[in-house]
Amino acid sequence: MSRAAAISWRFLGIALTVLVGAFAVFMVMKAAPGDPALVVLGEQAPPEAVAAFHQRYHLDAPVLEQFWLWFVAALGGDFGRSLTIAGGTSISGLIAARLPNTIFIGLYALILGVIVSLAMGTIAALRRGRVADTVATSIAVLGISMPDFWLSYVLVFAFALGVGWFPSYGFVSPGQSLSGALYSGFLPAVAISAPMAAVFARTLRAALLELAHREFVTVARSFGFAEVFIFLHFVFRNALIPYVTVIGLQVRYLLGGVVVIERIFGIAGVGSLMVDAAFGRDYPVVEACAITFLVIVLGVNFLVDLACTFLDPRRAN
Amino acid sequence: MAKRRRNGLSRRSLLKGASALAMTSLAGPWLVGRAGAVGATLRAGITGYDVINTLDPGKATLIPEYYVIWAIFNGLLKFDEKMEIVPDLAESYKVEPDGSLEFKLHANVKFHDGSAMTSEDVKFTLERLLDDKFASPNRSKVSAIDQVTAVDPTTVRIKTKEPFAPLLTFLTNARTGTQILPKGAVEQMGAEAFGRKPIGTGAFMVKEWTAKERVALEASPHYFYQGLPKLGAVEMPLIPEESSGVTALLGNQIDLTSTAPFADVPELEKRTDIRVFRQAGLNTRFIALNHRKPPFDDVHFRRAVSLAFDREAMVKVVLFGEGVSSHGLIPPSLKFAYDPKPRELTTFNAARAKEELAKSKYKAGTEAAILTWGAGWWKRVAEVWTAQVNQTLGTVLRVEVTEANTVYARQRAGDFQGSVWGWLGFVDPDEYLYDVLYSKGYRNFQGYSNPKLDDLLVKARQELDRGKRGQLYKEAEAMMIEDMPIVPCFCSNVHNLASTKVSGFVQLPYSNYGDTFQSISIA
Repeated sequence: MSRAAAISWRFLGIALTVLVGAFAVFMVMKAAPGDPALVVLGEQAPPEAVAAFHQRYHLDAPVLEQFWLWFVAALGGDFGRSLTIAGGTSISGLIAARLPNTIFIGLYALILGVIVSLAMGTIAALRRGRVADTVATSIAVLGISMPDFWLSYVLVFAFALGVGWFPSYGFVSPGQSLSGALYSGFLPAVAISAPMAAVFARTLRAALLELAHREFVTVARSFGFAEVFIFLHFVFRNALIPYVTVIGLQVRYLLGGVVVIERIFGIAGVGSLMVDAAFGRDYPVVEACAITFLVIVLGVNFLVDLACTFLDPRRAN
Repeated sequence: MAKRRRNGLSRRSLLKGASALAMTSLAGPWLVGRAGAVGATLRAGITGYDVINTLDPGKATLIPEYYVIWAIFNGLLKFDEKMEIVPDLAESYKVEPDGSLEFKLHANVKFHDGSAMTSEDVKFTLERLLDDKFASPNRSKVSAIDQVTAVDPTTVRIKTKEPFAPLLTFLTNARTGTQILPKGAVEQMGAEAFGRKPIGTGAFMVKEWTAKERVALEASPHYFYQGLPKLGAVEMPLIPEESSGVTALLGNQIDLTSTAPFADVPELEKRTDIRVFRQAGLNTRFIALNHRKPPFDDVHFRRAVSLAFDREAMVKVVLFGEGVSSHGLIPPSLKFAYDPKPRELTTFNAARAKEELAKSKYKAGTEAAILTWGAGWWKRVAEVWTAQVNQTLGTVLRVEVTEANTVYARQRAGDFQGSVWGWLGFVDPDEYLYDVLYSKGYRNFQGYSNPKLDDLLVKARQELDRGKRGQLYKEAEAMMIEDMPIVPCFCSNVHNLASTKVSGFVQLPYSNYGDTFQSISIA
């Protein structure tokens, strides 16, 4: 199969996954009890008001027909309007306003996590069993076991309310001010990156240690290559494959798993939008968020595969 | 050594300076620093909520929607700081013996677009709410109205089908939906657009509104009260977590919060850099007992579970002391109808509880599920209640936790045995008793029906004398308690936190907010 054909198959697969995912999410949402009309109109809503709401948003139509109506509109790029959590607002607009925040904070945390884990994982592996390793490994255990919301509050109390270096609440969108986003996003990015850095560092350390004892490393050493050269070309490069894969897996967490942190710091992100929409029975918003997530996760998986192929060309076959 | 310390210090102060600089120059839209006191900006967080679907009073139901609506609009009437009804857009009003109302309007009131407010706008607003096609969720507030007549530009007469005492309350600028709208603008814009860019008579107008993020208000140049508002603008960030509201206030990111977490209040009260406003709120939290399903179809069992728990202990555990125990549905702030006497059947008495259980057809070991939601204090109410009742009576009540939406749906369908319930911000006794206890009341999820009580509640609605009306409600509550269709638990406090720079904030028990912005100034 040619490379182009392989890639088009891959895209077809992504499209099918998105479609199946969208349908599954829709059916699950519909199966849950609760009525968006009551969320908007309140429990005192008279039946006429509830009926008018249902009719207006086609909520009285059969479920499959509702899905079809939604699907046809979505194909045309129209995700509709929010029902219950931002009544009447364009969903595309909501997501467009929030996605940059989510991506920005995610990348910010990811970069912090990668920098810290590269340093920690490498030092721990090179100093295996010594003080530096013990310290790095202990920090990693701490990073994994600290709940992120708890860490968030600790950071707020120490660095915002304590010494006053950072704002205690509020996030400036990168669209408004990049430096403002870097500044106001620092504490949440640290809170998000801590458990990630810990996982990354442990993965890297384990991979480095495992590779350091492989035969090809011994052979390289017997050739008399410099230790630094061996480490960079034979050990580190190969260790990057599991490392990059683990990073790719974290994207899902960055999109949907940081809702609590988004709320603590007041970041208008897509994760909290989706959670609020699910609780508010805002079906079209949940659908649009789910699709956004699916596309991003599948896209990132695709990129991770490409990166791994680049790191290890044998994978292309 | 000394040198190093000095270096450390200077580095820290440098960082502090840099971050202070960054705070001012990199600030987001509502993180802006304020210019002087005149035309100053108040940063009033909406805490604990982040959903505003509409700012059209005719369509609004959620309390955060009203937090904003109260600043943009006025009602014909309003509550003063003593919770007495006083004229607002009306200059004066009178109640005829048949319950009809006549309002004399202020002549100089202008909407934000500069147009004059007249009796035609009042007529339009009320008729719009009454219109079946408009399907307003607030229709019940005005459904007693038969006819609205604009006698002359400043006189409105409202005729009711029969005397309806709560109507005066329902015409205030509270959680009522009867705030007065501009006829011309609404007709021109259409309901949908008006709900997004509302035009009212209030002290503030909407400048910008980003869904789930913030509402920005600016002072109206046309406001009809001389010298008000004192502020130039109000920024209202929507802060979904109450605890984040606290950190935002403590970190000087906002000046005022709309709520505070119960658990934090005792600690916050010790601080000198903020002020805590608190009072018993307009709310009653209770447990609805479904009369259509065992075991709560038995009056003795219902009485037993009410006698079997200590309300004071519940207030301490669930609210951290931030509330008072309830012996009926009407909260203490509705003074004219509130009966402060503790009642025997709503006071913890293990021996009496066991007596009632002995008379019941259900015995110790009886099972039942109590429906509640979330992870916060609503759930704790159910946990504390079932634990105490089980301990006293040897019953096997358990807590069934789901989320709020499912609870609504199951309550409406009558699909529950017991369910924790309550609400915030209703201002008339009719909303507490008639809606919950009348056999066809729309919040009577428990399927309770007592014709004698029904008569009493209808009589109370029609009684225009406030004193007599209050007496009828006291009788109704005494009668209700004998049947115990619901188990009253407590009334929780309402809280606001304010920076010491804020002055002129007036807290009312219905959790008011936007309506008090006009009197606020900031140092």
